Amino acid sequence: MRRSAGAAVALPSLSAILAACTRPGETRNPEQVDLLVPRPDRPVTLPMNGEPIPTDAPIESGAELQIFNWVDYVWKATVRRFVEENSEHDISFSAVTTFNNMEEAVSKMQAGEIEADVVFPTIDAVPRLAVAGLLQPLNHELIPNLERNVWSAYQNPYYDQQWRYTVPYTVYTTGISYRRDVISDSQIYGMANPWEILWDPAHRDRVGVYDSYRDTIQTALLKGGITDINTGDQGDLDLARDELLSMLDLVNPRATINGSYKRLPQGEFDVHLSWSGDIAAGWGYVPEYTRDYYENLGYWFPEDRVGPVDNDCIAIPANAPHPRLAHEFINFLLDFQNAMDNFSWVGYQPPMNDAQPALLTQTEGLYSQISGWAEPAEYVLPWMESAVVRQSDFDVGYRQAPLSPESDERWNDVWQQFKTGVKAGE
Amino acid sequence: MPARVSKVRRTRAAEQSGVHYPRWFWPAFASPAIAWLLVFFLLPLYAVLSIAFGTVDPIFRTPLPVWQPWWWTTSHVVEGLDKTFGLFQQVYLRTFWYVLLASAICLVLGYAVAYYVARHGGRRKTLLLVLLVSPLWISYLMRMLAWVNLLDREGYVNRILTFLHVVPQPVGWLEGRGITVILGLVYGYIPYMILPLYAFLDRIEGSLLESGRDLGADPLSTFVRVTLPLSRPAILAGLVIVSLPMFGDYFTNTMLSGSPSTTMVGNLIDDSINTAGQGPEAAVRILILMVMLLIPIGYYLRSTARAAQAR
Repeated sequence: MRRSAGAAVALPSLSAILAACTRPGETRNPEQVDLLVPRPDRPVTLPMNGEPIPTDAPIESGAELQIFNWVDYVWKATVRRFVEENSEHDISFSAVTTFNNMEEAVSKMQAGEIEADVVFPTIDAVPRLAVAGLLQPLNHELIPNLERNVWSAYQNPYYDQQWRYTVPYTVYTTGISYRRDVISDSQIYGMANPWEILWDPAHRDRVGVYDSYRDTIQTALLKGGITDINTGDQGDLDLARDELLSMLDLVNPRATINGSYKRLPQGEFDVHLSWSGDIAAGWGYVPEYTRDYYENLGYWFPEDRVGPVDNDCIAIPANAPHPRLAHEFINFLLDFQNAMDNFSWVGYQPPMNDAQPALLTQTEGLYSQISGWAEPAEYVLPWMESAVVRQSDFDVGYRQAPLSPESDERWNDVWQQFKTGVKAGE
Repeated sequence: MPARVSKVRRTRAAEQSGVHYPRWFWPAFASPAIAWLLVFFLLPLYAVLSIAFGTVDPIFRTPLPVWQPWWWTTSHVVEGLDKTFGLFQQVYLRTFWYVLLASAICLVLGYAVAYYVARHGGRRKTLLLVLLVSPLWISYLMRMLAWVNLLDREGYVNRILTFLHVVPQPVGWLEGRGITVILGLVYGYIPYMILPLYAFLDRIEGSLLESGRDLGADPLSTFVRVTLPLSRPAILAGLVIVSLPMFGDYFTNTMLSGSPSTTMVGNLIDDSINTAGQGPEAAVRILILMVMLLIPIGYYLRSTARAAQAR
C-alpha cells in the first residue's frame, strides 16, 4: 500500500566518517543545479554518464527482467508476452518492484537499494537521476521504435535533449473526473470556470483532489486564473493557498491517490481531480461491468485544450543488471501494438503516431476483449472523448516542470497549510 | 520489607553453599539488552538527530545526515518548533483529542470485556481470550482495509443501520469524519488494552472481593472501592500501551478519511518524509513527538514506582 519506509538513511562506515572533512552538502557543483530545472523554453542537455552499451552486445541469457515502477502502471500480460517473444534467451519475469511516490523511488535508487533493468520516472526526477549518475545513456540503435513510432515532439524533448536517458512512456492531461449520474456533461461543460466544481458545496464531502502538492496547488492556481503552473511568485502562491483553504471550508475535500480511477467509479466521490489515464482505466473498477455503470464516468478537460498536459518516461538505471535486455524491453514497449495493448489495461495513452485520436474512442482494447466478465470497453469510452491526448495538446497546454528549491519550498508551505485542515479564519 | 528479607536469605544461602560469584556476574546478564538498546534504539536515535540537525542534498533534496555534532545547524529545529506552536498547533491539538477520546473508549469497552472474561469467563476463559486476540493475527492494514469496505455507503454497516431505521439514509462514514478516525483507532488498538487489564483482573484474589461484600458493600461499591483501585496500574499500563502508538498513527486516518480536516501528527511526519527537501523537518517532528510522549511515559513510570513502594 501507500508509502513504505520513506527516506533511506545509510549508516556510514567509520572511514567515511573520518574522511568527511568538509561539511556535507557543500561538495556539489552549483552549476549542476541549473540542469535540474528545465523548461520547455529552456531545454536541458544532460551530461553523458559514460558510454551507452555497444550495439552488438548480446541479450543477457538466463536473465530475470527487473522492473521498478509505480503500482499498476504496466500490464503484466504485456510483460509476459515480452518474455515469451524472447524465450530463446531463456529470460524470465516474476514481479514488478513498486514505489508509491517519486521521492521513495529516488531515495531507494540513491541508496543503491534497487537493482532494476528499467525504471519509470516522472519528468522532474529525470534530471536529478541523470546528473547524479544513476541512469545510463541509451543506445539509440537498439531502440529504433522511438524514431519509427513516437510523436515527433519526443524525438528531442526539452527535459532530456537528444533523449540521452529517456523515452516517453505515456501522455496525459489533468482535468476533472465526475459521476455523470450526479453531474451532467452539459452542466460541467457549461460552466464558465469548470475548475470551480471542485469548490461547489453541493458536493460537500464528495470531492477529491490528489495527494500530490503539484497537481492540487496547480488546480487552485488555474481556478484562480493563474496559468503559470510552475510559478514561484509569492503572490500567486498566496492566492492558491487562499483558494485551497476556502476549498476546505466549502467541501471538506479528501486528498487521495486512488480516488479517481478506483473510488469514484465505486461511488465514493462525485467529483475528483483527475489525470486522463486514471479515469480512462476507471471502467475496470465499477461495481458491475456493464455499459450502464461505465456510463456513470465522465471527464472534463478545457474544450480549447488549454490545460495541464504531461508525460512520464522510461529509463535504464546505471546499475541495471541486464542493460541489453532493458533496451530490448523499451523497444518492445514502443512497438505500436504492444503499447496499445498495455494502454488497454493501464488507461494511460502512449504517444504513438498510429494511435488515431478518433479511433481510440471506437476501438475495443485487448484487455476488454479478453475480459470475459466485462461488457466491451473502448480504449477511451466514447462519451469521455476529452480524455484522449493529442500531440497538438502539447503546443497549447501547460507543462509541469521541476521547481527551483526556493520555489519548491513556497509550494510546500502552501501544501502544509492545506494539509493541516485548518480552515481560513480559524 | 519482604524484599529485604529475601535478599538476606539469598546471600546467606550463597554463603552456606560456598559459591562466590564475581562482581560482574549478575550485571553481565543485562548486556544483551544493553547491546540491543544501543544498536536498535540509541544508534537510530542518533541518526534522527543527525538528520534533524543536518542538511539536504542540493541535487536529490534528500536528507543528508551530519554525523559530527560540531557541524550541526539548528535552523530546521527552530523552524520545526516554530511550526509546532504556529501552523501545526491545531493538528497537535486535534491529535491529542482524537487519542484522548479513542483511549477513553478503549478503556471503557476494554475494561468491561476484560472484567467479564476474568470474572465470568469460567471454563471458556481461554476460548474467549483467543477470540479477543484473534484480530491481532491479521495485519493492522488489512483490518483497516476491511473497514473501508464495511463503512462504504453501500457497505454492511450502512445497510444494517438503514434496515434497522437507525439512520434514514446511508451515512458517509468515509467522507472525512473525525468520528470514523477515532473509532478506527479504537478498533485497531483495543486488544492491547484488553490484554493487560485481563491479566491483572484475573489475578485479583476472590477473597478480597468477598471480604468487601462481607463488610457490607453492595456489588457496585465493591467494584468502585476494591476492584477499581486495585486495577489502577493495569489501567495506566493499558492507556500507555494504546495511546503511544496512536499518537504516531497515520494510516488509520489515511485509509478511513484522507481529509485534511482529520490530519494527525503522524500524517504530517509521513508527508514530510515523502516530500523532497523536507527530510530534516520530518526528523524534527519525530523528535518533538518523542519529547511530548515523554510526559505520559514519565507519569506512568512515576506512578508505578510509587505503587511498588507502597506495596
